[in-house]
Amino acid sequence: MRGERRFIALMLAPAFLILAAFYAYPTFQNAAISLTDLSLLKLRSGGSFVGLDNYREFLTNPEFGHLLFNTVVWLTALSVVLRILIGLGMALLLDSPVLARVRLSTAAKLAILIPWATPPIVAVVIWRFLLDAQNGTVNAILLRLHLVDNPVAFFANLATVWPSVVTIIVWNTVPLVALSLLASLQSIPEELNEAAALDGASRWQQLRHITLPFLMPTITVLTLTSVFSTFNNFVYVWLSTGAGPGTFTNVLATEIYIKAFVDFRLGYSSAVGIVMALVMAVFGIVYYRFVTRNELQESL
Amino acid sequence: MTALSLDVGAGRARSVQRAFWQRPRPVTTLLVLTVTIVALVFMVYPSICIFYGSFKIGGGVLGETSGFTLANYRRIFASGFVVYTLNSLVICASATLVSTFVSVCAAYVFSRFRFAGRRVLFGAVLLGQVFPWIVLVNPLFVAFAKWNLTNSYAGMIFCYTAFTIPFSVYLLTGYLATVPRSLDEAATIDGATRFQIVWRIVFPIMLPGIVATATYAFLLCWTEYLFALAFLTQTGMKTLPLGLYQFFGDDRVDWGAIMAASAIATLPTLILFLPLQSKLTSGLAAGAVK
Repeated sequence: MRGERRFIALMLAPAFLILAAFYAYPTFQNAAISLTDLSLLKLRSGGSFVGLDNYREFLTNPEFGHLLFNTVVWLTALSVVLRILIGLGMALLLDSPVLARVRLSTAAKLAILIPWATPPIVAVVIWRFLLDAQNGTVNAILLRLHLVDNPVAFFANLATVWPSVVTIIVWNTVPLVALSLLASLQSIPEELNEAAALDGASRWQQLRHITLPFLMPTITVLTLTSVFSTFNNFVYVWLSTGAGPGTFTNVLATEIYIKAFVDFRLGYSSAVGIVMALVMAVFGIVYYRFVTRNELQESL
Repeated sequence: MTALSLDVGAGRARSVQRAFWQRPRPVTTLLVLTVTIVALVFMVYPSICIFYGSFKIGGGVLGETSGFTLANYRRIFASGFVVYTLNSLVICASATLVSTFVSVCAAYVFSRFRFAGRRVLFGAVLLGQVFPWIVLVNPLFVAFAKWNLTNSYAGMIFCYTAFTIPFSVYLLTGYLATVPRSLDEAATIDGATRFQIVWRIVFPIMLPGIVATATYAFLLCWTEYLFALAFLTQTGMKTLPLGLYQFFGDDRVDWGAIMAASAIATLPTLILFLPLQSKLTSGLAAGAVK
């Protein structure tokens, strides 16, 4: 079957050459750069080897704990948990016969699509507008309801800046979760719920013991993919707060960008990137195992 | 009449089936409706602001809501937004074409052949899906600077091609699993070569899947910000997302221009997204979408 092997190699080569040039080669380059003091301003003359100094500086910096906490807790954990919970609630709501009876199901599904179809760069624009201190709709409502006496500068106030960023992320990403869960929800065999109802199970018992276990595989996949895309995300934080006020909302992704393109320290920035990639690699192994084992083996 | 009664019947049968929501009481109905309406306003209102505000002087900030104007659009097109839009179109369309072509080839092999290293290679492709792209920016910048690829179409097309390949291969492999293998076998018996099978027989059948994948790839490129920010510094080379954020001045924000630019950025995604979304939410695909 020599012809077959040649065919396979020929068909895979273009994709894998591009992937190697884009992912593999730069990753190794990045590791090499992280061991130097390369500066963006002196690219031509190159940097000199400094060993693990960049790593030492980053890991012993008091800012490191703050960055990790921001990235893991505020950016990733909070927004992923909220998106799954709200998404689940929306899916249950969309599945309700009440909506079907008043002919709202389709309209509601279409409405939910809109934030998903809104690109992240625009989602940030919208919420910067709505949460604007002088002209924002949210402040207008709060003032009219007398919940606040003065307009709140949502992105400048330390107490409100993270909740504001998380609101943007959840608003933009919850539709995918809601619609995926709705698809799984509607694939639950009806006999299961009927049998449980006959046996006298209450609604909440059915939800806990039938619906949720059935949704669990979908929830797990959605959680993992959400964790990756949010942890790695640069756009939401950078465009909404620019890592500020000060460095209050700085996360690993924005730190890499700031160190390289604002402070011109490519070497140090690359070291931060390696640390970030290592943190992700731990999740990556879990993801690879889960997806290949449960999802792809069935379909391939 | 017939259609109506059928509909009512279906509705009744459905409410019996969905045991979790069985026989809703009036209170439940009211509660469900209220929560739904609040949720829908929360989901829809923000995006409507964009289109509404783009036709208002000052972007429709409160107190300036009267009248209808195209001044915002005229202003942004006068300030070079046409160039950004054209740059985006060229880069995204080229990247989508290349990426979809090489992904179809790879996906075909992954779905039709069993070979040594197949699982590892497929896993490697998936890894690209979860890779922190920000980590690639520094080394790519160094390489691009060396080969004069910053501020070039070629550099951006390379980036956008590469970052859309992983999910394209994933989606297309899943889609190919639904195309019966017997077709390939019949064609082989009829004496078709392997390349003929791919391009003459399988390609037309999987065209809907290819179009969906390509559309999604295009939309991701259309709104990509990070690589554009790092690699495009000359005004004439910038793409639409960069142009959009130029309207956030240091001291003054031109909401009218921002709303109009946002509307232009969002319109293609809204139009292309609706026919696309059902393919993306179906179980397998969910893993490939961010």
